[in-house]
Amino acid sequence: MRMRTLELTVGVFILAGVLALAVLAMRVSGLTNDATGDSYKVFAHFDNVAGLTTRAKVTMAGVTIGQVTDIRFDKNRYTGFVEMAINKDVNTLPADSTASIVTAGLLGEKYVGISVGGDDLMLAEGDEIHDTQSALVLEELIGRFLLNTVSSED
Amino acid sequence: MAVSSEYIVDLQQISFTRAERVIFDKVDIRIPRGKVTGIMGPSGCGKTTLLRLIGAQLRPDSGAIVVNGQNIPELGREDLFAARQQMGMLFQSGALFTDLSVFENVAFPLRVHTSLPEDMVRDIVLLKLQAVGLRGAHKLMPDELSGGMKRRVALARAIALDPELMMYDEPFVGQDPISMGVLVRLIRLLNDALGLSSIVVSHDLAETASIADYLYVVGDGQVLGHGQTDELMNSDNPRIRQFMQGEPDGPVPFHFPANGYIDDLLSRERT
Amino acid sequence: MGAMINRLALLGYAGLNVIAALGRSGVFLFQALTGRSRFGNAFELLLKQLYSVGVLSLAIIIVSGLFIGMVLALQGYMILVGYGSEQAVGQMVALTLLRELGPVVTALLFAGRAGSALTAEIGLMKATEQLSSLEMIGVDPLKYVIAPRLWAGFISMPLLSMIFCVVGIWGGAMVAVDWLGVYSGSYWSNMQNAVEFGSDVINGLIKAIAFAFVVTWIAVFQGYDCEPTSEGISRATTRTVVYASLAVLGLDFILTALMF
Repeated sequence: MRMRTLELTVGVFILAGVLALAVLAMRVSGLTNDATGDSYKVFAHFDNVAGLTTRAKVTMAGVTIGQVTDIRFDKNRYTGFVEMAINKDVNTLPADSTASIVTAGLLGEKYVGISVGGDDLMLAEGDEIHDTQSALVLEELIGRFLLNTVSSED
Repeated sequence: MAVSSEYIVDLQQISFTRAERVIFDKVDIRIPRGKVTGIMGPSGCGKTTLLRLIGAQLRPDSGAIVVNGQNIPELGREDLFAARQQMGMLFQSGALFTDLSVFENVAFPLRVHTSLPEDMVRDIVLLKLQAVGLRGAHKLMPDELSGGMKRRVALARAIALDPELMMYDEPFVGQDPISMGVLVRLIRLLNDALGLSSIVVSHDLAETASIADYLYVVGDGQVLGHGQTDELMNSDNPRIRQFMQGEPDGPVPFHFPANGYIDDLLSRERT
Repeated sequence: MGAMINRLALLGYAGLNVIAALGRSGVFLFQALTGRSRFGNAFELLLKQLYSVGVLSLAIIIVSGLFIGMVLALQGYMILVGYGSEQAVGQMVALTLLRELGPVVTALLFAGRAGSALTAEIGLMKATEQLSSLEMIGVDPLKYVIAPRLWAGFISMPLLSMIFCVVGIWGGAMVAVDWLGVYSGSYWSNMQNAVEFGSDVINGLIKAIAFAFVVTWIAVFQGYDCEPTSEGISRATTRTVVYASLAVLGLDFILTALMF
């Protein structure tokens, strides 16, 4: 009888440990979002993807609707190639929507924001978003600002 | 494997040193089969070490320890554990497993070395406990027993596998006269009834002499003498006589080596 | 001059002792872990040890995890709010716990709670001749007493570390979200964006496994190797906690340098 309670408590302990690992995997590192089963892939070319990382969120109207699954360099077009997985239930994105890389706050992380277009055709698996807006690079911005001030002083 | 020689244990030219101190220097001891052999000597002369050498818990610097025809120091780990099943040892403290009941303690060797069915284990355990007079205590835990009872349970555990050789490490230390008498009787009884050979290591002269068939006296890393009990009592060797008759001063001095007494008292030197 | 040489000799002697102890503990570990145990009840022995090493450490792990998570959230909030990025508190709590504090604090607590108990228990078994007695019964104490304790430590500590992290993150959420009013969506989503399963969770787990190995090894060896007197046992217990803590912190630096 004592053996039985021992077995049970140890069993609960091991279960709790494994469950903790599962929670860390799903809830904390957000592996669930990786479930590509209920999502479809679209891609886009950006002139500059600086700061964007895989698994960055893809939002529309501030709501996360998917995530970036792959970023690589397109050597034919000299641009950054970004692949995104969009949740299946968000299947009403017009084909001429705009994808832009935006920053959360001044120094925050980069993510992809999508703004709606007006096309009747909807984006589907494997489509490309043609209209893109690159990442805002702070140094370039400051550089341009300084240039402007210098030239306006002339 | 059973070599039917006259001696069950044969120590040949054993030398053993610990921390630069010579415990044994080329010692020969032979333990006759089927008898109770007492090994006696003053405290700290290495009597317990001797048992540990036979049980291979220690390794001699040189010499052979032949038990039942096997040279113990040369055995591999596996063979050694097999050889130890032929030996039973009663430790000074009893060394019962504190997390097991009396019954489980005695059943322990049976459980690890045999695959007997549970009811047979139970019969054997009760049999062994009956032999030491503690069958009624089989449900108790070790910390509920007195020192003497613990030692008797340990004895039952040591004979659970019917060993050929029983070793007793100071079995009489710290026992009241009654449990001492019980133990003395038990050692003799078990030896004769189970056909064991026994080694009793002790410095309690009267008790050991009363049960031993043969005696060894060791001291200073040597065997000082051996023989039947009465032979030794009347030995000419002054060291043996001092020990056997319990004289406080003699070849083993009463005083720790020191400077002259008067000089020490008169000198103003702070110690 | 003579005193100088004496001191040098003493130093050399101490060094040799350390190396010898290291060798002894290596052989000890090897012998305990290799070869099949011949006992039918090996599983039962492991179960008992899992209980006393793992289950009994749960309370201290959960309580400390909770408080450490809460403190991290509070401190992190106070720093981050200055930059207007208090929603990043979730990722800060999670990364700190997963990468560092989870494995390290669990290992330190484990050394204090379970390690010292292991040392004292084995030391006491040695002092009361129970280990010798096992040997004379023909049972290898390395297999019967030591091996189940080693395995129990190896298994328990990583599990405890995971539990510690989860409780800590939950405690952080309680402070940040329920008390300080960080939006719960950004607490969790920032965390999920920042935490990488492969590099953060798994690396933390690897750390925990490495610490489990070191702490349990030290604890069990100190017990087995101690001087069989009450003084010897108390010294060995102290040594377990000191050596295990130092080893964990040192190893943590090396592992961090290698991993991140």
